[in-house]
Amino acid sequence: MSSTDQFGELLQAYALGALDGPEREALEAHLAAGCPECAAELAEARWVVSQLAYAAPEAAPSDMLRGRLMQIVRSEAVAPGTSATLIGSSKPAVPFWMWAAVAALLLVSLYSFWNARQLQEQIRDVNERATAQLHSREKIEEELAAARQEAAQVKREADILADPSSVKIAMATTAADSGPLQANWNPRLGLVVSGSKIPQPAGSRVLQLWIIPKTAGAKPVPVQIERPDENGTFVMVVATPPEALTNAKALAVSEEPAGGSPQPTTTPKWVGGVSLFPLKSP
Amino acid sequence: MFLAALLPKQNGEAALDASLVQQLLQRDMRAFEQIYDRHSRLVYGLVYRIVQQAGTAEEVVQDVFLQLWRNAAQYDASRGPFLPWLLTMARHRALDTLRLKSERQRRREDQTEELPGVCAAPQFEKQLDEKRRAVQVRELMTSLQPQQKRAIELAYFEGLSHTEIAATLKEPLGTVKSWIRNGLLRLREGLQEKTT
Repeated sequence: MSSTDQFGELLQAYALGALDGPEREALEAHLAAGCPECAAELAEARWVVSQLAYAAPEAAPSDMLRGRLMQIVRSEAVAPGTSATLIGSSKPAVPFWMWAAVAALLLVSLYSFWNARQLQEQIRDVNERATAQLHSREKIEEELAAARQEAAQVKREADILADPSSVKIAMATTAADSGPLQANWNPRLGLVVSGSKIPQPAGSRVLQLWIIPKTAGAKPVPVQIERPDENGTFVMVVATPPEALTNAKALAVSEEPAGGSPQPTTTPKWVGGVSLFPLKSP
Repeated sequence: MFLAALLPKQNGEAALDASLVQQLLQRDMRAFEQIYDRHSRLVYGLVYRIVQQAGTAEEVVQDVFLQLWRNAAQYDASRGPFLPWLLTMARHRALDTLRLKSERQRRREDQTEELPGVCAAPQFEKQLDEKRRAVQVRELMTSLQPQQKRAIELAYFEGLSHTEIAATLKEPLGTVKSWIRNGLLRLREGLQEKTT
């Protein structure tokens, strides 16, 4: 028996992995020496042994295993820098999806920040416009109130002048540059003092109406202040004249500092006596 | 001499496998899917037969296919067809998992290379689909003497050596050697008869 025949008997068991002890060592030494016949026969014996896998009972792995494997392979297939030839190549430290999530989060944060700034600017703009509109409305209301008040005075003036029961009191003046004033008193509607060609007092000074009582030594009673307009028209409407008017000796108008005075500081420029027409309250 | 010359070219299913493995080198995921779908049942059946536990079997199968995906270049087509290489690798992994830290494992680890050795399909080998091949192999195994069949199964599925099998079956060592050698020769002849 040749050495090849001798070792050939061992090749089947060696391919199966059943050979042990001195026989295995001797065969491996023979194969290492480069026997081409034994090498070829061993290769074929290995193929025969591999066919024993078909003798195993049929069984199928779960779908989960397939899914798990494909997920791993998919993640490694798209990961940059991996190579099929690297033994034991590992997964990337940070998977692609995590980078994508971080990028998306950053974009959302930037958008939120920008959006918040835009909202703040819009809110500030709206507040400024609301404040401006409020001021405008207050101004309009003030103007409207003034217009209403003026209209009410004009109406009262017209009513007093038109009422036949009103008493007229002429108030003459000694000033050469000024026209006279006329007072119209109605016990129900009030008092109107008016005139034209009345020069405007200097600066912020005003014209002040006084009631001069009949009682000797009694001080003049201040009634109201007013200024003529640029055209020299003077109108003073006193809706509720003081009680002292019913016991007046005269009406007088003097020029006084802005805001009026408790007592006349100048000689009255217009004076109208009422003694001939005793006044009675309604 | 019975040994046939190595096939100069792979044909049919083996050629398709070789082509798919080439595509794996290009990180072709579809090629991997095809390989898995073609062979995962056979690989799993073998591994499950060895480890006898479904969860463990799936872990081993996952390791085997991931090793293939990550280290496809380890397969050298000039050293034999792909499927026997894959089955041999799966069997080694499954037997390793049994954690037989005895002489048995040390012997097997010493004897076998880390990667499957050269494997050659004989000239008579015709490509059969998986089911027909399984029927063929099972019929051949059934045709063996029961003790002969048992000895081969102990070696293949449980990784036992001649000596260990003799002790397990309480049979003389020489008898066990004859059973295994003659059984494998019978298997080879049967494969030849069935396919020619």
